[in-house]
Amino acid sequence: MAVQERSTKERLLSVLDDLEVLSRELIEILALSRTQKLPQPGEDTQILELLVQRDAEFQELMKVAHKQGKAHQEMQLLEKEVEKRDSDIQQLQKQLKEAEHILATAVYQAKEKLKSIEKARKGSISSEEIIKYAHRISASNAVCAPLNWVPGDPRRPYPTDLEMRSGMLGHMNNLSTNGVNGHLPGDALAAGRLPDVLTPQYPWQSNDVSVGMLPPHHSNDFALEPPGHNKENEDDMEAMSTDSSSSSSDSD
Amino acid sequence: MAAVPTKQEAEDDDYSLLPLVHDIIKCMDKDSQDVHQELNKLKNRIQEAREQITAMPGIDKSPEEQQQQLRTLREQVRTKNQLLQKYKSLCMFDIPKA
Repeated sequence: MAVQERSTKERLLSVLDDLEVLSRELIEILALSRTQKLPQPGEDTQILELLVQRDAEFQELMKVAHKQGKAHQEMQLLEKEVEKRDSDIQQLQKQLKEAEHILATAVYQAKEKLKSIEKARKGSISSEEIIKYAHRISASNAVCAPLNWVPGDPRRPYPTDLEMRSGMLGHMNNLSTNGVNGHLPGDALAAGRLPDVLTPQYPWQSNDVSVGMLPPHHSNDFALEPPGHNKENEDDMEAMSTDSSSSSSDSD
Repeated sequence: MAAVPTKQEAEDDDYSLLPLVHDIIKCMDKDSQDVHQELNKLKNRIQEAREQITAMPGIDKSPEEQQQQLRTLREQVRTKNQLLQKYKSLCMFDIPKA
């Protein structure tokens, strides 16, 4: 078991106490020897030797104490250096923490943006198709009255009752109810009796378009096409997009 | 060069109590009335030494312990200097003001 060394201060004080005691004893013995014989001859010599020894030890310890004092000064300077470095490290730590927070926020926002981009990419629709459908909607005069429309014209921007009944759905309905019930005899007659001038001309009914109803450029583009595009449609689309009656081109 | 050892010797003599004891013994031999004065000098000198030792900084530890502590502090300073140097030499970028 290691014995803790005594501090220099303790040793110095101990040696000083010894010096005090020894010097007092020596003086007492010398004073006593004047008046009477010493009980132990040579005792004064022993005390003197001890005194000299202790004195030398005291001087050595004082030298050590001075060296320790200088080392203590150096330690104080080093402690100040350590404190300064600690505060610098803490400052850097704060800055790093702030940078980490900013970077984490930026990374999170970037990831969210990437998710949005991926989501948009998955649900992407060709712009050409959208423009085509826009043209079709505009071509049926659903957003703007025809140029030659006058009050009294039976045409409307929405399918009228007669037009609906004369369309495919109306025919299908008539076929299914003809032999079943006669609820709508009048409708079937009405559907077959539409005068030619009121016969609706929709792009999906026939390719023979009446001259005054639709712009001639739309004639090739009436079939419902599956999604996707080919070069022919691209040409039609370009032609349609140049038509001034189309509202979609006005929006550019 | 000779001046330094004499200065050292003078410093040693400052801490030595033997001259004072010698003076006391001389006075005793001469049966001088200054014996008490010399005794008081010795007593005061011992007391001053005691106060001086109490006030001296850095002697609360043994020399070995103090040297160990000094080495530790030097190592700490060296390590922290290296750490700071490493952080400051990293790629730094400006943190934009919010």
